[in-house]
Amino acid sequence: MRNTSKSITGLFAISSLLMFGVHAIPAANAADVLTISLGASVPLTGSIAKEGLLTKEGYQFCQEKVNLLSTSTIGGKQKKLDIVFQDDTSKPDIAAQNLSKFNDKGIKLILSSYGSANVNAQAAVVELNKQTMVDSGGADNAIFNKGYTRTFNVMSPATEYASSMVKAIAEFAKPRPVTIAFLSADDGFSKTVTAGGIAAAKALGFTVIGPEYFPNAASDVSAALNKIKAAKPDVIIGSVHFVEGVALIKQSKELGITPRGFAETVAPPILDFATTLGPLAENVLGSAQWTSTAKGQDKYFGTAKNYAAEFKARFGHEATYHNAEASAACLAMVFAIEKAKSIDPDKVRAALVNLDTLSFFGKIKFDSTGQNTFKPMSVIQIQKGKILTVWPRRDAEAKFLWPYVK
Amino acid sequence: MDTFLQVTSYGLLQGGLLALVAVGFSLVWGIMNIVNLCHGAFVILGAYIAWEMQSWIGVDPFLGMFVSAAVLFCLGYVIQRYLINLIVNGPVFITLLLTFGINMILIQGMNLLFTADFRSIQTSYGSNSFELGNIRIPLVRLLAFLLAIIITFLLVAFVKRTRTGISIMATGMDRGAARLMGIRARHVYALTFGISAALAGMAGTMIASIETFDPSKAGKFTLMAFVVAVLGGLGNMYGALVGGLLMGLVQAWAGQYLSGTWVNAIAFLVLIIVLIFKPNGLVGKAFYAARVEI
Repeated sequence: MRNTSKSITGLFAISSLLMFGVHAIPAANAADVLTISLGASVPLTGSIAKEGLLTKEGYQFCQEKVNLLSTSTIGGKQKKLDIVFQDDTSKPDIAAQNLSKFNDKGIKLILSSYGSANVNAQAAVVELNKQTMVDSGGADNAIFNKGYTRTFNVMSPATEYASSMVKAIAEFAKPRPVTIAFLSADDGFSKTVTAGGIAAAKALGFTVIGPEYFPNAASDVSAALNKIKAAKPDVIIGSVHFVEGVALIKQSKELGITPRGFAETVAPPILDFATTLGPLAENVLGSAQWTSTAKGQDKYFGTAKNYAAEFKARFGHEATYHNAEASAACLAMVFAIEKAKSIDPDKVRAALVNLDTLSFFGKIKFDSTGQNTFKPMSVIQIQKGKILTVWPRRDAEAKFLWPYVK
Repeated sequence: MDTFLQVTSYGLLQGGLLALVAVGFSLVWGIMNIVNLCHGAFVILGAYIAWEMQSWIGVDPFLGMFVSAAVLFCLGYVIQRYLINLIVNGPVFITLLLTFGINMILIQGMNLLFTADFRSIQTSYGSNSFELGNIRIPLVRLLAFLLAIIITFLLVAFVKRTRTGISIMATGMDRGAARLMGIRARHVYALTFGISAALAGMAGTMIASIETFDPSKAGKFTLMAFVVAVLGGLGNMYGALVGGLLMGLVQAWAGQYLSGTWVNAIAFLVLIIVLIFKPNGLVGKAFYAARVEI
């Protein structure tokens, strides 16, 4: 009994000493750490909550990786990334307001929201507040034609979304299609995508039908489909988001419209697309900002394959391009901070202007408007329920199937 | 001509779906003078219940809709009896606020429970259609349309031929007089709200079988129900059906013969024109439209 009580007392004493010691140690390290606060207003609720959550995951993954692996210092201090999240409820005005709130708190370095409408609103505020923002969710070229100097987009511009699929079809589709019909949602991003696709189609010698428009987020696109039905297009390219993308495929079947192939923006690379449509999703083409076969690597994420594997282990689902572009935006910001050896927004901005590097996401380099026109998009195809890269040839992991029989 | 007939048939089918969404909303507004801003949330919740039934135990949505209806009836009854009833005598703006708050709670609850992932009920016949001459009729949309017709006629029969239905109509006409006649207004109101929620649940099941859904779509269905109810008019059980069919046709024709971008603008323009010439809606009764308890 006496031995037991002695043991307990001894254990208690040792535990107390250890706890005191543990608390004593960090006091010395805290002074050596520079916490870098990045503001991120993302849609965690509302109509684009799904993509907003994917964006948040991408930013979080980057934060974890940088904090784990970073060895470089700023002013002799180890840097620690701290991303401050706010929900903008999928609304552009809230997304912009949140940036002003960040500015009031002294947070000058910003990671963008998701969606061209939100980012467009944010870019104006960033310019006003002299913050610096890296964009991972707004690809509309129109954002970057306004003379803004403080927003940098890691993604390929919107004009590449449909044009990349047109190029893939021109290169691989045999027999070569003659007519391509363009159907588009009527938001700014989709219209820019459509314009890019039409320009590429005409340049490559295809006959263009349309474009026909329908309201953004429409679940009934039958009117647009009825307009092009009589022309019997060889290909239908949809500049759409998820809801319209699913409706396009479903209602084409309902209306008996059977082109040789479908190609859509945004929707097919989202995992729910194949799950929702089942067999109807087979062989639908999609364009993606990133796939796990992208070329390039960096010191934090390694290669695209490394990123995909580690992301899945961390978050329990396959990495989508929304995850990857968010991580890439955060990475660009970190590279710029390291290059500038400062968190001053003007110095970071100058470093972003001159950034030219490879990463798991591909090339990150910005043209004079702040767009990353140096990174090509990938084209994927859904084959047996899996999302596989089929273009460009060097990144392809599966054969491009054409024409396909439903 | 084939294109016109195809577009018109699609418009009618879409209109049937709109009517199905709106019929419960119209019932509550007409009887209780409550504009239920959580109606869209009920629709989406009905969709999720049917989706879960199909995902977990493979229940076909046309059977699952009865489960959705039952669950939502209970939920609607409880919400009205123990929440809305507390302020049912108050100004209409108070009920708007309360139902708006309930709407927010339901949407956020669904976000947490089901996530914001897009869902849809897949069936083997989901994208099937059959041909009538050169016109293609999608099967599931046709079934939803027929369901809207059947529900409307059943509702008419219920309120005209059953004791409970007559009690509901009587309470809607004059709550005080109904109480004097021995009708338990509190129970009747809860029953009405429960029926409305049940109908919303059935509509949600049909929507889940036709298109994708997620919690953020709730607002769209509330707005849709509101517009169709106003267009059709209150106080007439056929109002939602007539309003829905007209709205479906206008949207289909506008989409086909004008730019697709103008669809919603044209639909609301038609609403305004109808209200100018028929302020009570197409088949509404003046008594119900004029009864605004401020």
